[in-house]
Amino acid sequence: MTSTFSMDWLFAALIFFIGAYCMAVSRNLIKQLIGLEIISKAALIALISAGAFSGNTNLAQALIITVILVEAVIVATGLALLVKNYRLNGSIDIKKLDNLRG
Amino acid sequence: MTTELLSYSIIPLLSALAIPFLGRTNRKISEIIANVTLLAGLANLAYIIFHPMNRNSDYAVFSFDGLTITMLFTIYMVALCCVFFASASHMVKAEKNAFYPLIMISVSAMSSMVLARDYFTLYIFMEALAVTSFSLIAGEEGKGGIEGAIKYILLTFPASALILIGIAIMLMSGGTINFDMINSSPSTGNLAALAFITLGFAIKAGLFPFHFWTPDAYQGAPSAVSAYLAGVVTKISGIYALVKICMTIRLFGEPAKPVAFALLLAGVLTLIFGAIAALMQKDMKRMLAFSSISQMGYIAAGAATLTPVGIIGAILHIFNHATFKTSLFLNSAAIEKSAGTTDMRKMGGLEKNMPYTSWTSIIALFSTAGVPPLSGFWSKLLIIVALWVSGFKLAAVLALVFSILTLAYFMMMQKKVFFGKPREELKDVREASAYMLAPAFLMSLIIVLSGIFFPYVFEFLGKTL
Repeated sequence: MTSTFSMDWLFAALIFFIGAYCMAVSRNLIKQLIGLEIISKAALIALISAGAFSGNTNLAQALIITVILVEAVIVATGLALLVKNYRLNGSIDIKKLDNLRG
Repeated sequence: MTTELLSYSIIPLLSALAIPFLGRTNRKISEIIANVTLLAGLANLAYIIFHPMNRNSDYAVFSFDGLTITMLFTIYMVALCCVFFASASHMVKAEKNAFYPLIMISVSAMSSMVLARDYFTLYIFMEALAVTSFSLIAGEEGKGGIEGAIKYILLTFPASALILIGIAIMLMSGGTINFDMINSSPSTGNLAALAFITLGFAIKAGLFPFHFWTPDAYQGAPSAVSAYLAGVVTKISGIYALVKICMTIRLFGEPAKPVAFALLLAGVLTLIFGAIAALMQKDMKRMLAFSSISQMGYIAAGAATLTPVGIIGAILHIFNHATFKTSLFLNSAAIEKSAGTTDMRKMGGLEKNMPYTSWTSIIALFSTAGVPPLSGFWSKLLIIVALWVSGFKLAAVLALVFSILTLAYFMMMQKKVFFGKPREELKDVREASAYMLAPAFLMSLIIVLSGIFFPYVFEFLGKTL
């Protein structure tokens, strides 16, 4: 089987920048959260590729399953915050979040 | 993880599980459980630190270093002060039973971060800590809390992806993520991995180009929570890991210099930016937040010199920052409760009505600015000396100059809030109750004592580091 190592990291970098672009251009808070998730998926691809490259697939698998668990918790918290924000402000526009000023 | 001290992270977790069940009907019970858990942990740590048998054997019984035990002590001290303040000021409403369990879970997560001995454990507990912080910030009733929490999650979550990529590179280059193994295998791959991880934790710590979330999160959070966040949470989740990484790349020798220099540059820019921004603030909590950013710059610059003196100075400054910033934030919380505002333009002449709050904040601000007998002076002195000795003379001069600017903006705050003629509408403001003053008094006592007995503190850290 040919090694796909370089392609893995190319796609990891590409997916990272897609996520960053999504966060940079979008004003919708839900799209921003989706952008965050895409960024963290890039990190997961990097992790599993590193595990396959160094022949340490078991450790990489264990790490990735733990990270998926952590991400589920973070996304649940983030969505709960967005729901509370929508109830208070009636909008999911990030530009409307400017109550705190110095 | 080190197993000897594991109980410091497990017992708060059990207490967090117990509080919602036992305190369901009575708010007093949850307050008592939270306070007693933290007080017991603090007494236990103090026993370990001050017991002559442990000291004479140079702490050989335990396999930890001075950094771990100092950080654990700091975590428990600040958490106890904030929980005590919250229960004394009746900040938490009866139906909001989530406050104490969340604080307990975050104490547990922080202790686990400090006890972690590999990068993945560090990452996992950093995320656990972040989740509890979002929830604590969003506990504020108004619109400020939710805004701070959303900015916190959106601006710091990319940092965890960077840390994970760093762990991936580490796994690829050496096949290990253990602290000790990384220390003993200084390869280029590990250095690249640590550079990624440094970038991630610099975002978490709120260093200069990534500081946008910090003031909003601190200003939006409920008062006791912002003292807790500024005093210890963001310090452990960001700057502690940076100091730990600096202790590792110190062993890598010459190739590590560029990484350390980048961190030093970020640190110096942070301390300049934070001090200048703090001068222009009108809200007391926001000003304290920018001052906190500025102090993070001192710690990062001190650790990035990669000298033992710089790293000890950085660790001491984390401890000192926890004492004086908690004291100042709790004082601002007491003022908010008494006078009903944190806007400095609407205050003035509170000295007569709130003399004790005024005095504790004077001690804390002198310590922040580095006035000699107090503890803040010694840690800043160590950092500036380390910068000068390792050849960054301009950085040392800048750190000294902006230390004076720190005194300037704090004196402006003190003048606007406490000195001057009392305002008509603030005539009948009352001093906070004795229970609410107790944490600030404890912190002032620690500031003064650890300043006067500094040689002993230095000896303790120097021996165990």
